Order: sequence, then C-alpha cells, then structure tokens
Amino acid sequence: MGKYSEDPLWADIEPLPTDEGGPNPLAAIAYSEEYEETMSYMRAVMAANEYSDRVLELTEDLIDMNPAHYTVWLYRAKTLFHLDKDLREELEWLNETALEHQKNYQIWHHRNLIVDRLDDCEGETEFVEQMFVKDAKNYHVWSYRQWLVKRFGLWETEELEFTERMLREDVRNNSAWNHRWYIVNGREAEGVKGEWDEGLRKRELDFAKNAVGKTPQNQSPWNYLRAIVRTAGVPLASLKEFAEQYASLDRPDSVRSSFALDLLADIFAEEEGGKDKAGKALDLLAAKYDPIRKNYWAYRKSQLGLESSTPEAVVAA
Amino acid sequence: MAILSENGASEEPRLDKARHIKYWTRCLKTLLPHQYTSNDSNRLYLAFFIISALDLLGVLESVPSKEEREDHINWIYHCQHPDGGFRMWPGTDFGVRASKDNAMWDPANIPATYFALASLLLLKDDFSRVRRRGCLEWLPRMQRGDGSFGETCVNGVVEGGMDPRFGYCATGIRFILRGTMSGPLEIEGRSVGDIDVDSFVKCVQLAEAYDGGIADLGFHEPHAGYTFCSLGALAFIDRLEVGDHAHSKRSVATAPTNPSAVISWLAYRQTELTDPDAGIDSEFTAPDDTTDNDPSQKPGVGKIAKIQQKAVTPAHQTAEHSVGISIFDLLVDGAGMSGRTNKVADTCYGFWVGASLHLMKQPTLYDHAAMRRYMLGKTQHPVLGGFGKFPGDVPDLLHGYLGLAALGLSGCEGVKVLEGGMCLSREARERLPLLWKRWDVHDEE
Ligand SMILES: [Zn+2]
Repeated sequence: MGKYSEDPLWADIEPLPTDEGGPNPLAAIAYSEEYEETMSYMRAVMAANEYSDRVLELTEDLIDMNPAHYTVWLYRAKTLFHLDKDLREELEWLNETALEHQKNYQIWHHRNLIVDRLDDCEGETEFVEQMFVKDAKNYHVWSYRQWLVKRFGLWETEELEFTERMLREDVRNNSAWNHRWYIVNGREAEGVKGEWDEGLRKRELDFAKNAVGKTPQNQSPWNYLRAIVRTAGVPLASLKEFAEQYASLDRPDSVRSSFALDLLADIFAEEEGGKDKAGKALDLLAAKYDPIRKNYWAYRKSQLGLESSTPEAVVAA
Repeated sequence: MAILSENGASEEPRLDKARHIKYWTRCLKTLLPHQYTSNDSNRLYLAFFIISALDLLGVLESVPSKEEREDHINWIYHCQHPDGGFRMWPGTDFGVRASKDNAMWDPANIPATYFALASLLLLKDDFSRVRRRGCLEWLPRMQRGDGSFGETCVNGVVEGGMDPRFGYCATGIRFILRGTMSGPLEIEGRSVGDIDVDSFVKCVQLAEAYDGGIADLGFHEPHAGYTFCSLGALAFIDRLEVGDHAHSKRSVATAPTNPSAVISWLAYRQTELTDPDAGIDSEFTAPDDTTDNDPSQKPGVGKIAKIQQKAVTPAHQTAEHSVGISIFDLLVDGAGMSGRTNKVADTCYGFWVGASLHLMKQPTLYDHAAMRRYMLGKTQHPVLGGFGKFPGDVPDLLHGYLGLAALGLSGCEGVKVLEGGMCLSREARERLPLLWKRWDVHDEE
C-alpha cells in the first residue's frame, strides 16, 4: 500500500508496472516500494496521455527520485504548457530541485525551456550566482549563464563585473575566465569586436597580467594572455618581457611560474637562432619545474627538431 | 619516478584483481543498491560498464554461466525499440498498453543504442536480432540542422543537449553497423541514407576553445569528457586530424583544426592535485598572499598543500630541490588526470584524457607510471574493490569501470588491452570486421 494506491484521487488509474522481459535483467536496482509505485502510476498516465494537475504532482515525485528520466521532463513541460500554468511557480519549484540535483542536466534544460517561454530573465542571474556558492565550477550552471547572456543580451558591464567578482573569490576558477572570454569575444560573428579592438585588448591584457601578478603559478590567466595575442594576430613575442618577470634562463633557480617558462620556450622557438634557448627552457621544465610532463617537454623539443636530452623521459606506453 | 621506483617494484601499488572481480560479480548478480535509483534511466550504460568490466578482467565467460549470458542478451533485446534503436531500460515500454498515441513517450535513445550494441559485441552475440535497417534509418533523423546529435526524438523534435556525447554515441552506432562506409547503403532491398558527416565535423570545430581543449559548444569551457567524445566521434567517421600531416592533403573536412593545441591541453591535464576539499588556492602560495597561508582555515588540505604553505614560494622551487629531483618525486605517490584547467584529479579522467591522447597518436605523452600509482594507490578501494572518484571514496560503476579502462590503456597486468576510441577491449573491437563482412560493409581505413 502506498501514497497513490491509497488515494481515492487516483482510484481510476490502473498502475502499469515495468516488465523486465525475463530472468537476469542487467543493472537491476533495489528500488524502494515508493519508487516502484510512483513509476507504475507514471507509466499508466503517460500511456493514457493524461495532462492534468495531478500529473504535475506525480512528475515531481518521480523526478525527485529519478531526475535523469528523460521523457518525464518532456512530459511535465507538455503538461505545464497544456494547462497554461504559471511558469513563475515552476521556476520556484525548480529552484529547490536544482539545489538538490545540481549536477543533473535535464533540470537546466527544463529551466531553459521555461525561461525562454517566459521571455523574461528577472532573478535568473541572481539565482545562478546563488548556485555558484555551492559549486563555482558547475558546468551546467555556466552553460546556462552563457545562454542567458545570449538570449537576453546581457553582454555589457554588469557581466564583466560578475566575472571580476567570481575571480576575486577564486582567481583560479577557469570557468570564470572562460566566461570572461565569452563576454569579450562571443559576438564577433555579429560584428562586435573582441580582442581585435585595441582598447579592449589592452584592458584584457592588463586584467590577466594583474591576475598573474597575484598567482604566477595559475594557468588560467596565462592561457588567456596567449589566446588574446593569437586571436588578435599580435606576435607572441609581445609577451616576452612580461614572461621574463616570472622565468628567466639566466636565473634557472628562481623560476616563479612554469607557465611563463613554457611561454618563453614558444617565444624563443620563433626567434632567429632561438631554438637552443627554447630547448633549455623545455629541459628546465622537464628536470625541475614540471617533471610530471617530462615526456611532453621531450615531445616539444622533438617538434623543434631538437634531440631529447633526457633519454629516460620517453617510456613505453 | 626517481625515489619510488628505485626502491623496487614491491613499492608499486598493484591491481587487486580478485577484489575487482568480486565487486563486478556483485554488480552483475545482485541488485544495485537503491542509491542507483536516480540512474534508473541510465541502465543500459550501467549494464555496459558491468559487462565490459568483466570482459576487461577476463571473466565474462566464467562469472555468468552460458544461460545467464543468454538472459543478459535477451534483456538487451527486450530494450530494443520496435522501429530500431534501443531504450535505456524497459521503463518507457508500455507493453500491452502501447499504442500509436503514446508511442512518442517511448523513443529510442542514442546512448542506449550505442551501449546496447557494444554490450552485444562483448557478449559475442551474432547481432541477428538487431533491427539494423530501422536503426540506421533512425540515425540521420537524430541529427539537427547544425550537425549535432540529440538523445531522443519526441514528436518530431530532437531532444537532449547539443553536446558531443550524443555525437560520439551516434557515430559509434554508425561505425558498428556500417563501418566507415559513407553515403546511401542498400539494406534489405532499401536504400538507407547516411548522417551528414561534414556538418558534424563543423560542430566540433566550433567547439574548440581558446586554450586548446574542446567543449560541448562554442565558447563553453573545454572539458576532457567532451574532448574525448569529439575526438572519438571524429575517429569513428574517419575525420580525425592528429597533426602528423598524413591527412592534411585530404580534401574532406577534418577536426580538430589545431591538433597540437589539443595535444598540449591534454598533456596539461595530468596533475598532482588530488584533494577535492583542499581548495586549489593552497597548492601554489604566492609570497604576498597571506590569507590562505593558515592551514587551520582549510581542514581538508592535502599533504603537498600543507608543505607548500610553509614555504613562501612554491616548494618545488626552493633550494633543497634544485638538484633535479622535484618535491613530487619525494612526496607524491601518483598523478591522475583532471577534466578541466585548475581542477583536481578524478579517476574517470584517467580514461577520458588517456584515451584522447591515444586517439591523437601520442600515447606516451603522459606519465603512465604516475597515473597507475594514483589509481592503484589512491582511488582503488582496498576492501570493496572497484575505484572511487577521489581518494578514499567508495567505488561506483562509472569510476570503477573507467578506472579499469584507463589501466587497460596503460598496459597493466591483469587488464585486457583497451581500444581507447571505443572504450572496450581490443579483443572485442577485433570481432567487428566479422559482422561487417556479413553485412557486406567494410572499414574504409
Ligand atoms: Zn569522474
């Protein structure tokens, strides 16, 4: 006996249990009785194409236990639209559910659908920031944020300030760096200049350099710097002076950033007669500053036509 | 690496094969605990993990009896959709109440179909009950105008994210059922159309990120799982560019557009960071950064982090370590893979990253020994068998399986050699040409 079978409101529904087809089904789960019952009512309702208020409740119960059920989410959306429900209420329910199942993809897709239909993103950026308190790198949430930006045109200063706020919390949050890249460069297809604009480029270079100053051994701003110069078509060598503040072949014992050394290796390699210096930088990485990647540094040398100086580096796969 | 390996092989953590077999036998023969209820709609991929793990451990033909294997095959076919393709589990099949009107709520599912076919291959089924024509007719309908694939098609709408997991599974289905034959194919007297390979390649190109990795969509953060799925899908359709110039003369569209950037990004995924609670800030302490220097503020900080916090500069830059031995040789008993920049290692990325490097034909670019030590010494569960996500975690099916798969890439005693692109044993992969021969299709490679 359970919640649905005892409820007179559901007396007209004959539950439809799942048929596993035979003995020894694979990956069978020790379901609770509650789940089995909810599922068999859900199946009966879907088989009958019923779109009603009681169905909304049923989907809530089911989603709570199995948020990965791919057709129940679609069924719920169809029911909501069919009944012309207040979608603000749906968002409120989603807020709670999202906090419980924040790694679930379907929840974000559903939210997307609802907010798109509402054609209004009021409160959404605040909600997203609340989600980041729990996990500042949640992939679904960042994807959703990007969608909000594009759908509702939130490109300008506020969104930049948001990335700055996130990076003040954690300057190593690569998701926040990626979001900043999107804000600056995400409209090039629509003709809005990104790193190609000189003023903008200077602002972004300064921003990333400042972050390196705080945490030299943080790959995110280094990647950001490299991407700016590559995208803008500026020579990599324009970063040489800056990189040398953090790594220098003249002071091999006081390298402050392995990423600066990696960058210098690339800069040297582009210089006339700079290959040997590039090789030295790569050797230093392999021997001392980033030995876990010693095979990779040896590969980089081989790409330059230089022989590997650490023969033990290349091990069998 | 210097200290650990010089002390001899006895110091190297080993695969506790008996416990892994025990773990997977339990997964096969008893009900999965109720915590898996939230994965009820993912059962076919859980089934694949179980079957494939037993295969990698070499016990798929001894742990289940012949009759039980027949039952398992029958269950997979029970999930087959009447029009071709498979469902994730029987939960959407309305049985006697199925009708034209409710058929939309019982769609075939792209990942379910890939995992069903892969599991049938592992179980040495003859594929005679696979609705091959229906499946291959359905496949192009699962592709959107932009080239991406979805998960299901409900009421004429392709549902599910645009991400390359579906592209990987869709191209994998195509690979199993028609090799790399492109264009229309004659099956059972009917001409069956192909997917749009070029537009899929374009999709991957658009998802290449500014730092070399690949994301699910343009401008999203690159991620090792999506990178693997993208590269694996390109390999399935023979459009993968590895940067060795062998393909560069080809007139067809290939991806990634910058293979060496992808390789570099992948090489950077290996990391000594292992403690998810430590907060990555503690790993490298800037001289002027005092706020994070008090270990008491961070209860979960790991061993290395603590040591580094005592120093004002990163520990591997202090004078005592300037003789060519890094602190990591002395202290770290392994280095796993992270899924994104500045994240800690996680067992599953040993597979996603390792297999990606294998696909890019650079299998030696990571430190296999350090990776084995991370998994066998830290995330292998000493009592239950299997692997957890992070050190000390209880095992789960996904990490338990992908841990074994990662070891299968690295050459590990007791684990079959893995075919990285398909995430199953090379032995099973080599049975595919027999099927292709029967269907009169071939691998164009
Ligand atoms: Zn994982």
